Amino acid sequence: MSEHKPEADVDTGHDYDGIREFDNPLPRWWLITFYGAIVFGFGYWLHFHVLTSGRLPRAELDAELQRIETEEAARLAQLEAEGKGVNEKLLLSLVSDAQAVERGEAVFKQNCLSCHGDKGQGVVGPNLTDAYWIHGEKPMDIYKTVGAGVLDKGMPAWKPLLGINKVRDATVYVLTQRNKNLPGKAPQGITADGKPAP
Amino acid sequence: MASQLRESKPMTTQHKSGPNLDRLYVLGERGSRQYIYPADVHGRWSRLKPWVFSVLIAIYVALPWVKIGGRPAVFIDIAARHFYLFGRTFNAQDFYLVFFFLTAIGFTLIVLAALLGRAWCGWACPQTVFLEGVFRRIERLIEGSASERQKLARAPWTLSKVLRKSAKHALYLLMSFLLAHVFLSYFVSLPGLFKMMGTSPAQHVTEFLWATALTGIMYFNFFWFREQLCLVICPYGRLQSAMQDPDTILIGYDKKRGEPRGKRDTPGAGDCVDCGRCIAVCPTAIDIRNGSQLECVGCAACIDACDDIMVKLQRPKGLVRYDSERGLAGQPRRIFRPRMVIYLLAGLVGFTVATTVWLRQVPFEANLVRGANTPYILDGDTVRNHFLLHLINKGPSATVLEVSAQAQSPIQVIIPQQSVAMEAMGSIQLPVMISLPRAASRPGLSVRMHVHEPNSGSSRDLTVPVNGPPPKPQVPGTQP
Repeated sequence: MSEHKPEADVDTGHDYDGIREFDNPLPRWWLITFYGAIVFGFGYWLHFHVLTSGRLPRAELDAELQRIETEEAARLAQLEAEGKGVNEKLLLSLVSDAQAVERGEAVFKQNCLSCHGDKGQGVVGPNLTDAYWIHGEKPMDIYKTVGAGVLDKGMPAWKPLLGINKVRDATVYVLTQRNKNLPGKAPQGITADGKPAP
Repeated sequence: MASQLRESKPMTTQHKSGPNLDRLYVLGERGSRQYIYPADVHGRWSRLKPWVFSVLIAIYVALPWVKIGGRPAVFIDIAARHFYLFGRTFNAQDFYLVFFFLTAIGFTLIVLAALLGRAWCGWACPQTVFLEGVFRRIERLIEGSASERQKLARAPWTLSKVLRKSAKHALYLLMSFLLAHVFLSYFVSLPGLFKMMGTSPAQHVTEFLWATALTGIMYFNFFWFREQLCLVICPYGRLQSAMQDPDTILIGYDKKRGEPRGKRDTPGAGDCVDCGRCIAVCPTAIDIRNGSQLECVGCAACIDACDDIMVKLQRPKGLVRYDSERGLAGQPRRIFRPRMVIYLLAGLVGFTVATTVWLRQVPFEANLVRGANTPYILDGDTVRNHFLLHLINKGPSATVLEVSAQAQSPIQVIIPQQSVAMEAMGSIQLPVMISLPRAASRPGLSVRMHVHEPNSGSSRDLTVPVNGPPPKPQVPGTQP
């Protein structure tokens, strides 16, 4: 093939092991995409880096997270306003709701049992059936502890894993076990009126 | 330098001289598109094609409809990251399997390319199958033969031309629309597709845009772009060309028999009468008599075209034929070459691994993940390690997973549930607490957990290291 003589003057004289380079025009559609990409690139650069009218991925992500946070806060505030938010009143009222307690017990047995025992008597984690509390004994204290966890003691934050409803139900179950004084782990923490554990 | 030359000396127009080796015939002098009108061809390969294309199209279209084990045979649910393939369910975690599968497929195609050249391009590539099997047939039906189509293209815009062109493009659009939906059904499943088609596009904007874009791309590709895809874009065509050697069976012209070209009764002339049929029928507009070229998609149209002429001239068929370079030069042909064995072995490795992993695939996923921010917890004289056991049921029905742990005393493992009820395709996270006395803690301790699925009898073993604080410094001279 290398002895082939091109009809037009397209031979660049480049010859690599018999493979020769000819200088032919590029397909017009290809050039259109090429110049189109340059025009687009210029517009992109103007939009994102010069006029900064567009948000780069990081800013886009931050804005999205901000939006979700605002919406979630607004949703919770709305629920609160409608009397449906998680608050002390709701938690205490659910204690007498057999279905909620049953749901809470199921959540507890799946997630909390390995540390707190099957009834909250405490194994690795503290006894939840005595009068002494490390992170507060009020219903909303318990709700917050379950949700946010106690990371340096090994208790995971459950809200991201289980969601608000399951955390609420588990809290309700813990409230039903309060002051049952089941034999288990020795008391830790303080009572509601500040008396430390023996 | 070359461009200066061109300015000083105008180029010869290629259309006077026909296809050559200097440039793409389908591109004009300044790179403009030369639309080509390949002529109809009849012959044994052309008779075989509709059957091959029909079977392939039937397979492409039928796969989303066929159900195996209550699931579509092929359903690539990207949104939920579940992949249903012929009765098996794969998750994102199984994606590594794709590597072995692609290795196997890749080497198979390389073997095919080394053996039969671009047989894939001419016979099985979707671009060829739909272009030749569907769109060119529509064109033939409405606008007639190649010369009639060319005439129509040059004709003034009469009512008849407008009607014909509109009918053709309407059918093209309809076919592209159907194809796009078949394609989409691989990713959203047929019930999903029908549900979406029955509701407002606002409820599934992404899929709607995909369907619209795909319809547009396919329409553009099949009505205008056509062979440009094979000649300028497709990397696989180039790869196949690089796999060829003098023993690869290609479509070739028997120079020894054909040259010198001449009219039927010219004394001393070869068998080629230079009738140009092979060029007229070529879908990429090349002259096969110039030898093997990268534009050749191996469609075999020129073989049928030439055979037809040879029969009329009462000369033996096969002036253009499937043959290797050696075969065309009258040398002995070889099928098995050392490189074939190497390609085949590499392909077999891929197939073996892919099949083995496929067969040994467990219908659930189990992973132990150490609790965030806590390598270990020191509580008095007890060391604790906290884990989350992630369980994923990959099966299409609910099941129960049995979890157990093996640990040497005094290591204790607390698992909240020994048997975990799992929903179909459901996932659950179970906290697992491992505790041991600080005195027993030393590097290299581990716990093995065993997850068993009774229905399939399959199980997984998970081993995790147990972390602990460094040993308490010993006071010199005292016994531990």
